[in-house]
Amino acid sequence: MNSTIFSLTLQQIAGRRRSLAMFGLAIVPVLVALVFQLGERLDQQEWTANVLLDDIILTIVLPLTCLILGTSVFGSEVEDGTAVYILAKPIQRRQIIIAKFAAASLVAAAVVVPATAISGLLAIQGASEDGIVIGFTIATLFGIAAYTGGFILLSVVTSRALLIGLAYVFIWEGIATELFTGTRFLSIRHYCLGIADLISSTGKQNFEAELGGAEGLVLASAAAAIALFLAVRRLQRFELTEPD
Amino acid sequence: MSTQLTNTVELINASRWYGNVVAVNDISFSLGPGITGLLGPNGAGKTTILHMMAGFLRPSKGDVRIAGQRAWRNHEMYRDVGLVPEREAIYPFLTGFQFVLTSAKLFGLSDPTAAARKAIHAVDMESAQDRKLDGYSKGMKQRIKVAAAIVHDPHILLLDEPFNGTDPTQRLQMMDLFRKMAADGRTIVFSSHILDEVERIAENVLVIIAGRLAASGDFRAIRRLMTDRPHTFKVRSSDDRRLATALVADQSVFGVELNDDHLTVRTSQYDDFIRVVPRVAKAEDIRLHELLPTDESLESVFSYLVKR
Repeated sequence: MNSTIFSLTLQQIAGRRRSLAMFGLAIVPVLVALVFQLGERLDQQEWTANVLLDDIILTIVLPLTCLILGTSVFGSEVEDGTAVYILAKPIQRRQIIIAKFAAASLVAAAVVVPATAISGLLAIQGASEDGIVIGFTIATLFGIAAYTGGFILLSVVTSRALLIGLAYVFIWEGIATELFTGTRFLSIRHYCLGIADLISSTGKQNFEAELGGAEGLVLASAAAAIALFLAVRRLQRFELTEPD
Repeated sequence: MSTQLTNTVELINASRWYGNVVAVNDISFSLGPGITGLLGPNGAGKTTILHMMAGFLRPSKGDVRIAGQRAWRNHEMYRDVGLVPEREAIYPFLTGFQFVLTSAKLFGLSDPTAAARKAIHAVDMESAQDRKLDGYSKGMKQRIKVAAAIVHDPHILLLDEPFNGTDPTQRLQMMDLFRKMAADGRTIVFSSHILDEVERIAENVLVIIAGRLAASGDFRAIRRLMTDRPHTFKVRSSDDRRLATALVADQSVFGVELNDDHLTVRTSQYDDFIRVVPRVAKAEDIRLHELLPTDESLESVFSYLVKR
């Protein structure tokens, strides 16, 4: 990995306003968990798994954080013209993609993992944890790799990466995969649910995991690897166009 | 690889189109050491040509070779090529020194700090090197971009409108730098839509119009073509009719048209004509109100060259 590009990318992320929005997003589940603690007693395990960790973290916070980061680490550079300072260097395109992926994933993990762990532990306080929080936390790590890889690929392929990414998250994962069970093999959220289910040991079905844990692990890892491979291939043929 | 080949930039029947729009049309040339100006109006295809040279655009047809190697999909060629893009965007959170140092590291230099210091010295930016790029003027950004592009001491330097935003002093300094680099045997190609810039620095000129190579070669020869072309002047005087009669007799004039409130005069000898008009007016005791060339835009000069 190219450490110069990695550190440059981290500085770029830190300097963008979008990054603030991302940290704002991460606070939401923690606040929801605090409100839940103060409110009426429900089944804590079920609420934590289904509502907090699945509906809020896996469905909204995780994909949106990765979308913001994945599409901006390369896409914003192309948009503002600074990509030329990296591309006009004798550096293998693989190194550029890996450095961008590592930087985006690291920041995504710094946002999503604490949000998952803290909000999960707050919500389940007083009840048996049974590996739910740890299961979802580990699942988000695989989710970060798959989503970030996918969104980086999108940003190398099209200038409308953000829009297409939003459509994937809200239309494909939010609606299509709920309506057509067979499509869950193409949903990173369902890979994560499978992984969380594999690690947790509640003994009862607290959340809906249609895919097995092993399937989830393999598919999430494969999705990340294939996306990065294709992003490198695409970057090797990347054309930088500017108005004459 | 011989030095001569190392410094060569070649376009071989290169074309580039975007859908149905032809941006560059069947251009061939070969450049060696020295300074070459890519001259043409905005939208002529200069940036597209530079981007093909820089390996950022695949030629739709033909070939672009840098130092004997194909430019497209060849990241290794950047070891010997420096590029200064036209766009002003630059990492706002870095200082000038950090920006050039980052460039040196990305080029994989053994002593990036020393190389960055040397490049910053070459563009005379030491006094501002510790300031954030965000606060740089346009001219300062141009100079620090040049420093980042020459930090690895490339044989070939490609610059897209490098003098944009620079003040006259900065422009002279940059021109001196490029002249020194060219004298050291480097190949420098820069694009510009300003005739004067090209005239002052380029030994060799490629005139690009509507994606085609309209003229190429020594600047003086091209300049002669430009000045010897027919010129049109608008002339207003106290007695346009009498002035028209007197001017028609002069050999520098080959057409006079009498309009409502002015004359339109065509001449093929720009310099002679502007000396003749006051003299004739004085001899005829006519007061001259206005003498204005009507077709001096760069576009009109270029379009004349295309028609030839």
